[in-house]
Amino acid sequence: MGTMGRRDWLFVKGRECFLCRRPVAAGHLCPSCSRTLEMWEQEFRPCRRCGRLLRKEYTAELCPQCQEKLPPFRLARAVGPYRGELRRAILELKYRGRRSLAFPLGYLLSRVVAEEPLYGRPQAVIPVPLSSRRFKERAFNQSALLSEELGRFLGLKVLDRVLVKERHTPPQAGLDRPARLQNLQGSFAVVESSSVEGLDVLLVDDVLTTGITAAACTVALLQGGARSVAVVTVATSLC
Amino acid sequence: MGLTHRPALDRRFWELKGYPFMDLVSPCLNLGTAFFLQGYVEERWAAARYRLAKVDSILREASRRWKVPLARRPAPAAEPLPPEEEARLVGRVLSGRILLLEEVGRALGENGVRVTGELADLLHYLYLQGECELWPAVGYDARGVPKCNRCGQGDKLYRASCGACGSTHCYVCEGCLELGEARTCRALYARPRSERDGLFPCRTVSPVLPFSLTRAQEEAALEAKAFVEEGKSPRCLIWAACGAGKTEVAYGALAAALSRGKEVLYTCPRRETTKEIYRRLQQAFPGVEMTVLHGESGSKYTPAQLVAATTHQVLRCYRRFDLIILDEVDAFPLAGDARLYYGLERSLRAGGQILYMTATPLPELAAQARRRRLPVIYLPARPHGYPLPEPQIILARSLRRPTDQLPRQVAECLRTTILEDRASLLVFVPAVDLVARVVDGLLGCREFEGLGEWVKGCHAALPEREEVLEAFRRGEFPVLVTTTLLERGITLSRLNVMVLFAHHRRIFDQNTLVQIAGRAGRTASFPHGKVWLVADRITPEMAEARRIIRSFNRLAFRRGYLEPTGRR
Repeated sequence: MGTMGRRDWLFVKGRECFLCRRPVAAGHLCPSCSRTLEMWEQEFRPCRRCGRLLRKEYTAELCPQCQEKLPPFRLARAVGPYRGELRRAILELKYRGRRSLAFPLGYLLSRVVAEEPLYGRPQAVIPVPLSSRRFKERAFNQSALLSEELGRFLGLKVLDRVLVKERHTPPQAGLDRPARLQNLQGSFAVVESSSVEGLDVLLVDDVLTTGITAAACTVALLQGGARSVAVVTVATSLC
Repeated sequence: MGLTHRPALDRRFWELKGYPFMDLVSPCLNLGTAFFLQGYVEERWAAARYRLAKVDSILREASRRWKVPLARRPAPAAEPLPPEEEARLVGRVLSGRILLLEEVGRALGENGVRVTGELADLLHYLYLQGECELWPAVGYDARGVPKCNRCGQGDKLYRASCGACGSTHCYVCEGCLELGEARTCRALYARPRSERDGLFPCRTVSPVLPFSLTRAQEEAALEAKAFVEEGKSPRCLIWAACGAGKTEVAYGALAAALSRGKEVLYTCPRRETTKEIYRRLQQAFPGVEMTVLHGESGSKYTPAQLVAATTHQVLRCYRRFDLIILDEVDAFPLAGDARLYYGLERSLRAGGQILYMTATPLPELAAQARRRRLPVIYLPARPHGYPLPEPQIILARSLRRPTDQLPRQVAECLRTTILEDRASLLVFVPAVDLVARVVDGLLGCREFEGLGEWVKGCHAALPEREEVLEAFRRGEFPVLVTTTLLERGITLSRLNVMVLFAHHRRIFDQNTLVQIAGRAGRTASFPHGKVWLVADRITPEMAEARRIIRSFNRLAFRRGYLEPTGRR
């Protein structure tokens, strides 16, 4: 949260678009960003289970990967594809540390959860954790920041210390699917089982590419006693 | 009292200075909080005349006031100090800079300096010796309000839990994020440039120019030189007409400063302009050690006597320059950005000077000049000796109605430009969405249909912006509709300019209008370019812009700078 001086209360700034910061007359997004965020819906629709984007011509409800083997989470959805303004915003947040972007992205995540009836009524928000080494290097966990904002928008409690990454692993980006699977095997664990026992959990991450990270976290949460796990991410990949 | 990340080092240092014992105030805090509390406690201890008996009560009071449980405990056993020689080398690299720890590491690498000791310890040793200053990157002012110590701002701070220090109140400055993360728990190390780090030698430096200066430029260059040589005034403004060649005038001041072994910064707000200036400076001062600093520049810590830099990069400089030349002082993003001015002031050495250069000074600077608080060097004439084109105001009442039909006078201006002058026309509009509408409206003029695709639009969000601009420069089409994006930095040999909807006062203020008018008549082959302001009324800004241009022409005429053939 930013600091606010007396001057800011007296001279309230005009509204700015959450993403591009251009002035907007009403709402949180400028017409251009709104259009960009909704444009993918003309070409794609999400896989019913993993939420990765399928071309509209593709008639099956599940993507080929989910048809082969269903992921352990109940469902996953994203704000949009990992490109354009969304990609830029994620990169700014994750690699340049522009933490203030967590607020608009958290707002967009809350819209996704509110508009998708399949989410039902989750009881807690849990971020995908970083290893302690990465957390110390980066000084923040982007998923935890997103969870905090999402929890605030939805009025849900955020359990950011329940799920931990016990082992430091190389970044998933740039690895193929088998290598990703191998990379994360057994790296996540629930440290306080009592706090997730019997809960419908909403797992938050910035990007869902193959779904392996989300699946590994889900397995750990289910083993820790969670009743079900649904995933929400800012961006997702195309199938 | 001091701060430390390793008390054992401090213990050794103070033992060598003859202090037999040292206490530590615990708990271990993040740097920003520790720095603030140190200041608070020290102030009270000084008031108590540094009596040891008072320390505990002061700590108790500070604990109550700031809700941090402060207590004294014995310091750990002493550890050896880092190598003196290495600390000296680090100090030399840090000279004139304000850097984060990892930036110091990069600076050492870039300068080929290898150290065996822990870098944080070496820097701390310098701090203990009083050879460098240490601040938290984001600290607190006396009232406990957080503030970034790199860019000086407090309005773009974000508070979050920090994985590095473990605090839940670690502030990050997003105002200067592009230079690396400034956080409460990170240290900024600064060292003013001084004689002990070595100065550049005094020798005669004079600019090499492939052309001779005009009388107007020569007189202004002499004044600029005198400003540096006399050193009476800390600030000066070169107020030049658009296209009058103010950079060459600044060479006078530059040469005077370089001859005296001074370090000089030439800074502009935009990266492209900085690169261009660097090329020109290299040609004009071939024997001078020079470097360029911008977001994409490979080396950022090379020592140099003359530095061309974007204003953002100056935030890494500390008490370094004797002379700063600030070009396009009113241009985005410098205008209205307090942090960049803060950085400029801080990069100046004690007794240093700033030379502002612009065609359109910001109101504060212009007011200071009018009140004679700021010396001004005027350069009112262009090298070709013709007066500046004065704007012609075209009143078109039809602009009041929301219609896509353009006023009939616009077609008249098109005819003059394309058929009579055989020139190009740059049409400025106040908003991006008007670009396409005006292009469509102009295409409605049937008489130019034979020219093919004769009008195009260009704005900041257009992906093929550079290609369109290049094609316009090459003369592939005669009319370009644009936003204020192109108010600076475009020069065409035969160009007329039109401002449509010039009554939009927020967009077209007097400075913007003067800059736009400055696009016309820049070359000797077409010195009488035309400037049309098409509006539904005459705004004060339009009148003021016209007055400024006229006053430049009058001054140039009075001083005899205009060619006899050029006088109108």
